[in-house]
Amino acid sequence: MNTLHLAKDFSASFELACQQRVIFYYVGYFSQNVVAAMADAVRLQLEMSGVNSSTRRKLFSSFVEMAQNIIHYSADSLTPSDQDNHEMRHGSVCICEKEGQYLLQCANPIDAAAAEGLRERLQSLRSMTLEEIKQACRASLRAETPEGSKGAGLGFLTVARDSSEPLEFDFQPLEAHPGTVMFNLKATV
Amino acid sequence: METLYIGATPSSPEVNFDFAKHHLSIRGESYPENAAAFYGEIIKRLREYLGNCSQTRITVDISLAYFNSSSTKMLFNIFEAFNSAATAGNEIVLNWYHDEEDDTILEFGQELHIDFPLITFFDHPVKTA
Repeated sequence: MNTLHLAKDFSASFELACQQRVIFYYVGYFSQNVVAAMADAVRLQLEMSGVNSSTRRKLFSSFVEMAQNIIHYSADSLTPSDQDNHEMRHGSVCICEKEGQYLLQCANPIDAAAAEGLRERLQSLRSMTLEEIKQACRASLRAETPEGSKGAGLGFLTVARDSSEPLEFDFQPLEAHPGTVMFNLKATV
Repeated sequence: METLYIGATPSSPEVNFDFAKHHLSIRGESYPENAAAFYGEIIKRLREYLGNCSQTRITVDISLAYFNSSSTKMLFNIFEAFNSAATAGNEIVLNWYHDEEDDTILEFGQELHIDFPLITFFDHPVKTA
């Protein structure tokens, strides 16, 4: 993967979406150690930014969920496909402030084949009320872990629950890498 | 049964299951890379222990500053195991500690209390700096 190309792609859409204060921005490889270090930095940064505690909590939670999704699902991986721990995968995450709201955006490449299913799931999330999202969370806790999931499948539901607006997402084809698309996700807290 | 002790890391909790004293505790942060792998062995040992308990009073202290979505499912499974042990005639006293301003953890505790009524549940909001 050409890292510079990815950074330009992301920062173009990022610039459009968020012309205000950047609180945190990282583009590169994500591993558990990297995420734990960033989580520390994000926590401190949020405290210093004067964000209220409920918003801080939601931002932190959504940040960890998005970052860990990148560790587990990004198609640009440094780890061999048969390795399922200590993974290192490429993506980006950004927290910025705009007009009193906090935007949390992440991007990572995914297999084009996975895009349609993901689109459907996220689309259906958009039309759910907060109560429906909470119900879906409760149901998911009691269900068997889905095939191919490295967690409970609760990640998107958790982010959606804490977002004050329906989640926004899109899939951008990558000319240099047919068969792979760039997945962008945005939450508002 | 030998104590199960796992030291805390920046993203995973300290697990201190003193089976001999019937005092189990989980505290810290919980967002390990693979929650199922982290908690899988813990739940297995827990079930072994609970399977051998009868008419026992077991105290459980859970004090987590944060837990991610996959940890949530594992915690649910842990509570299920405790509830089964309560059905089998043990008394499970569960102390649920959380930041007094954390509504998410408060609500999750309340839901667990509703789902698993046989566990004697105490909510402990904690004032943090």
